[in-house]
Amino acid sequence: MKKNFTYLLLLLFCFMLQGSYLLAQQRTVSGKVTSTEDGEALPGVSIVIEGSSTGTVSDLEGNYSLVVPGPDAVLLFSFIGFATQSEQVGNRQTLNIALSPEAGDLDEFIVTAFGISQEKKSLGYSAQSIDSEAITKMKQPNLVNALQGQVAGVQVTNSGGAPGQSARIIIRGINSLDPGADNQPLFVVDGVPVDNSTIESSGTPRGLSNRMADVNPNDIESMSVLKGAAATALYGVRAANGAVIITTKKGKEGQIRVNYSGSVGLETLNRLPKLQDEYGQGFSGEYQPSSFWPSWGAPIAEVQQTVPDHMYQDNWNRAFNTGVQVDNSVSISGGNEVATFYGSFGNLMQEGIIPFSTWDRTTAKLSGSVKASEKFDFSGSINFSNTGGNRVPHDRFMERMMYWSETTDVRDYINEDGTMRTYGNTNPIYDARFATYEDDVNRIIGNINMNYNPTDWLSFSYRLGNDFYSDVRTEITPGPKGIDGEVALSSTGLLEETRINSRDLTSNFYITLKKQFNADWNTSLRLGNDIFERRYDRVTARGENFVIPEFYNLNNTTQIFAGQGKSLRRLIGYYGDLMVDYKNYLFLNITGRNDISSTLPKDNNSFFYPSVNLGYVISENLSLPSWLTFGKLRASWAQVGKDTNPHILGATYASPSIFPLNGQVGFTRNSVFGDPNLRPEQTTSVEFGIQTAFWDNRANFDVTYYKSNAKDQIIPVPISDATGFSSYITNAGEIENSGFEFILGGTPVQTQDFSWNINANLSINNNEIKSIREGIDEIVVGSQFGYVGSTVTMKLIEGEAYGNIFGSSYQRLGADPDNLFLDRSLPVIIGANGFPVRNGTQLILGNAVPKWIGGIRNDFTYKGFELSFLVDFRTGVDQYNQYNNFLSAFGKNEFTEAREDFRVFEGVLADGSPNTQEVWLGQGEGPDGVDYGAGYWRNHYRTTSENFVSDASFIKLRNLTLAYNLSPNILGNTPFRSARVSVAANNIILYTPWDGFDPESFSAGAGGNAVGFTGLGFPGVQSVFFNLNLGL
Amino acid sequence: MKSIYNLILGALLLFGASACENFLDVNENPNNPQDAPISGLMTNATYETALNVQRIGSITSNYVQYLASPNPASSSDVMDPLNYSGTWFNLYNVMTDLTDLISKAEESDAGHYLGAGQVLMALNLGMTVDIFGDVPYSEGFDFSAVTPTYDDDEQLYGEILSLLDRGIQNLSGPTAISIGDDDFIFQGDVDSWLKFANMLKGRFMLHTKDTGSYNETELLSALDNGFSGNEDDAAVAFFDQRFNPWAQVAINNENLLLGGWISTQFVEALDGTSYPTVDPRLPLMIGTTDDGEFIGVPNGAGRGDAPEQGARSTLIPGQFYTSELSPLLIATYAEQKFIEAEAALMSDPNRAYAAYLEGIEAHMDMLEVAESEKEAYLSDPSVSVGAGSLTLDAILKEKWVALFLHPETWNDARRFDYGYKDMTLPANLNSNLNNQFIRRLAYPDNEVSRNGENVPDVTLLDRIWWDQ
Repeated sequence: MKKNFTYLLLLLFCFMLQGSYLLAQQRTVSGKVTSTEDGEALPGVSIVIEGSSTGTVSDLEGNYSLVVPGPDAVLLFSFIGFATQSEQVGNRQTLNIALSPEAGDLDEFIVTAFGISQEKKSLGYSAQSIDSEAITKMKQPNLVNALQGQVAGVQVTNSGGAPGQSARIIIRGINSLDPGADNQPLFVVDGVPVDNSTIESSGTPRGLSNRMADVNPNDIESMSVLKGAAATALYGVRAANGAVIITTKKGKEGQIRVNYSGSVGLETLNRLPKLQDEYGQGFSGEYQPSSFWPSWGAPIAEVQQTVPDHMYQDNWNRAFNTGVQVDNSVSISGGNEVATFYGSFGNLMQEGIIPFSTWDRTTAKLSGSVKASEKFDFSGSINFSNTGGNRVPHDRFMERMMYWSETTDVRDYINEDGTMRTYGNTNPIYDARFATYEDDVNRIIGNINMNYNPTDWLSFSYRLGNDFYSDVRTEITPGPKGIDGEVALSSTGLLEETRINSRDLTSNFYITLKKQFNADWNTSLRLGNDIFERRYDRVTARGENFVIPEFYNLNNTTQIFAGQGKSLRRLIGYYGDLMVDYKNYLFLNITGRNDISSTLPKDNNSFFYPSVNLGYVISENLSLPSWLTFGKLRASWAQVGKDTNPHILGATYASPSIFPLNGQVGFTRNSVFGDPNLRPEQTTSVEFGIQTAFWDNRANFDVTYYKSNAKDQIIPVPISDATGFSSYITNAGEIENSGFEFILGGTPVQTQDFSWNINANLSINNNEIKSIREGIDEIVVGSQFGYVGSTVTMKLIEGEAYGNIFGSSYQRLGADPDNLFLDRSLPVIIGANGFPVRNGTQLILGNAVPKWIGGIRNDFTYKGFELSFLVDFRTGVDQYNQYNNFLSAFGKNEFTEAREDFRVFEGVLADGSPNTQEVWLGQGEGPDGVDYGAGYWRNHYRTTSENFVSDASFIKLRNLTLAYNLSPNILGNTPFRSARVSVAANNIILYTPWDGFDPESFSAGAGGNAVGFTGLGFPGVQSVFFNLNLGL
Repeated sequence: MKSIYNLILGALLLFGASACENFLDVNENPNNPQDAPISGLMTNATYETALNVQRIGSITSNYVQYLASPNPASSSDVMDPLNYSGTWFNLYNVMTDLTDLISKAEESDAGHYLGAGQVLMALNLGMTVDIFGDVPYSEGFDFSAVTPTYDDDEQLYGEILSLLDRGIQNLSGPTAISIGDDDFIFQGDVDSWLKFANMLKGRFMLHTKDTGSYNETELLSALDNGFSGNEDDAAVAFFDQRFNPWAQVAINNENLLLGGWISTQFVEALDGTSYPTVDPRLPLMIGTTDDGEFIGVPNGAGRGDAPEQGARSTLIPGQFYTSELSPLLIATYAEQKFIEAEAALMSDPNRAYAAYLEGIEAHMDMLEVAESEKEAYLSDPSVSVGAGSLTLDAILKEKWVALFLHPETWNDARRFDYGYKDMTLPANLNSNLNNQFIRRLAYPDNEVSRNGENVPDVTLLDRIWWDQ
């Protein structure tokens, strides 16, 4: 295959060379670009010869000059915020043009593969981007969150409200059957793929960051989302789930600009479950002051008569702080005709709502470009960041909140000698303060680019990128202080030091050849080579049992355990990309790529995959009614190959982590066997779309249909343990995602002073597991604990969708025993004891992957004022509410106030007759003389998963911003060029049927696929920001 | 012009082609070796074998009513089919490692490793067959079949006894490599391995007592070469880094992760309710309530409205079975004496009676029962019944006590039709059992979902071949 491809490339190459001497009639056109608004010169306008990549940029005075191939050449003038205009050169030598402020975002350029800015019109596939304003307005410290609700087909989920906590991004559904697969897209910064992994803590969840959080959103110029395989064929295997192409800000020709932006944010819990405040500490309705049981005791009011300080403490509101965020960023940029530069410093300090949770980020960035000659230019950038904080054990914090007595002040947690103040249970705040986990990440992302253009139809480009980070983590749980009567967090204490070093290197060399055959035909061909390497090393040392209390050094522990994990992955790719443009209305793009991966068996490690896409701009070809400004059809077909993780082939031995014991190290045969004949995975996708604009771009509409099938999936197939292995990594199974994406936008109102912009997107995704492997019934993605048989499991089953949550339910009359799904419409069967009868066989109770997602954004401007809001929603999604499982077990839900009531459960007896038996819901012996044991809530309710899997849809006000830009008149007397003040609010839940904390939070972290489980995750927060932006 | 591009393109392709090979040859696993030393396999196999005994013991302890669940109608108490995929994995994981150990020992003429490996293989295979019946073996361990077929349980018993015989032979012969501290059971003491192999032979042969293949003489002569005192017991002592799993159960229970609650059956058998004697071992084996009483939980009924702590007897940290560093008992001298008592009961009542008393005494010595209490118990007429009046009931009752938490008791219970005094079916019994006790474990879900076509279709009432 590799040979064939080379041959094909050579053929194409020869084809290009043949026509290269036909260039004739070249001449120079020059002119000035101004704005229709005020007639002022527009610097930095991009001027490109249509259908080519040849172009220039207007200078400070708006002047430009450009060599054009002939009178048929059409120049495209584009500038951010202005509508792109095209103009045929004709016989003119001077071509002045006035650009109008943009009414829509129709003709914009979009940054696609390898940082190449492409006219959106020419794309045969769907791609969407957001600009720096849309990013910074969101006030999200984590860049990934800035995409929330803004792009069709892109689902971004906050894993929780912790400072710096990871966010998960999925484009067009989950594409892998492998429970451990990272289904997130590739992130590319200035043409260099960077690491966005989330490395969670090894013990209790602590909400660590995805690595894109290291990047300062203030440095970002734009983010483009390339959704389909067509858009990503050129990034190869690593972009099989799509790509997010990030372009950072660059210096522009002209005077030096200094920008400052600062903000202060306050955040609070955005939602609480409904809780009861009637019953206090104890069990079986009896008050016991040192009881483990926080809320099964006597009515608080009753006890208060004899114990005056026994009162409801409102701990769930009082335990959380008001979080604070302070963000300061300053940048300086500028340049002249030869060189430009951009430099910035940023600092973010964040304190979360759980006490002692923090995260800071300090960034410094320097980039520059030099035009050494007409033929040679180079540029480079280096981005340093230091991030990290104290990651509180949020699951444990919330679990301890569950156990903590509602009649004891949770804030009163420490004694004068530093020991925990408690009636017996562990105080959550004491634990959050002293059981620390700090990470300290130092990261450098850098790149160097060189371009050599020996002639105007040929260029050589080389880019070297690196992404290096070290992640130093220290976990401390103190042991006893040695003070009499103390309740220690741990009987031994522990110290765990983790050192992670990761280094990505990317080298990319390509040749671009351009050729205009005649006025109708334009072609460009790009041929390149791409090399990638990732080296990763993690060393962990853990010490237990401190000799000297509170002296935290490994040398001060009596037990030491150590471990190491290393990996090395390399990839070489060759690619070709041919673009053909006919009469500026038909755009054909063919790509081919051959990857060779170190992770696959040598015989199968080289694989080729092609793509083709076509864009047809109807409005440039046919004359359409005047109200139809623009119309375009798109179609694409693409394949993407995919390799696997490094070091998985064949059989190995492993030393279980418990060793050494007594100086001996045991070995066991690793239960994973990697198929020595593994082949690359293959995803094939098709996409069709229509893009339209009406009434001079007052409105636009875009619809896309896509379908992708990932075949020959490399998955760990579970096999009989009797084979000597438990898991066989091989090619098996297929998964399909299909759906529609709708984008509706426009500028309904545009006057001199007032404008209204609207942008909405809506997407639906259907997922089906087409096959797994013969003889294999299911793949378990994950499970989450629930009390007494209410544990839920996410399993993949052939013919069903990804994300089904299985769990126990109530027996239903007339239920089809073959139905995998629980039919909640059937009547519940009530047992002889008067309570619903439980069915322990796990049925599908819901699905955790949202069916519909969407967002709507409105921007209003009136003179200097701006008002914008973004509302997003998801629906058709269910989640397991572990919080409610715990709350009901401990008598804390509001509904458990019904504990001295009699109830006739709705349902039928086994014979179908209606249930009429009255039962008591309390604990112990009821007024009817029957012994109800631990009571309905503990004996029945909490044991059935059905009660805890429910609709997790929401509508959120993701962002609301009110801003005022000071007018130039006022600023005239100040040194400032621009000034803007704004207030923003984030993440306000407008509607959800969910009972609990923010339904968006989940416990797996961004890297995990078991998304349907809330766990005891860090609760979601809402925030308000006060911002100031100044420009010099 | 043209030649420049051809040159560049050529160079590019050349670079790609030549550099690829070495550059990409970096996939060897840097974390897990391709091969393991035989001593490392021995270390893990001895450690995991002890854990397997405990893992099965924690399943069967509710069936033989040592333990009872604090929750009503708990699946483990009421003999529901439960998914023991984890236990199945652990058994096959050790047998896989033992397969590798045996073949490495053969390659390097390490006769003692070979023998010890065969003994451990016999033990793990035997435990697997005893709880599941037919299981994969002949097509197992080398991934020759993705869905290995199941072997007949009676035939597998032939393999178990043959493995023990071969093990004894190999342990008695020369070895190129001696076993050392990598052996967590006997620290390389080959004499102890030989005694252990003979004792296990006795254990597995006793299971076949009601079948045609039973050979009492061979059994008793194997025991003659077995353990000669408590000091010979096969056990793995636990570690500061990893506590004894029963200790962990007790610690977890103190931390309200409930487990290790004692069955009423066990409490009443030892506190003078079911039998006339009060057994001095009771306070050394289990804890009391806050009020110092021994109160059990009836199997299947749950604890009622008793709180989580202080109102019932449970395993408590720090006792013989539940100290952090306590040994996990794989096979004991006490058990061997009860095997001898049962085997000799008909043919040689005097030998049987002596072995019966010796078994009780061995267990009491293990628990360090005070000499006076031991003598008082042994001299109680209900215990010292005399050789002529010794019954199988008495032997099995004492064996039941002496094998507290050990999985071998479930094999006894099934052979004995759960005939222990006052032992009744648990409350809320799985209704599919038609008021009978469980006779085997269900094949685990993992095996059904991964190897479904080969998994025999059985119910929990279908008996293992020796339990007919």
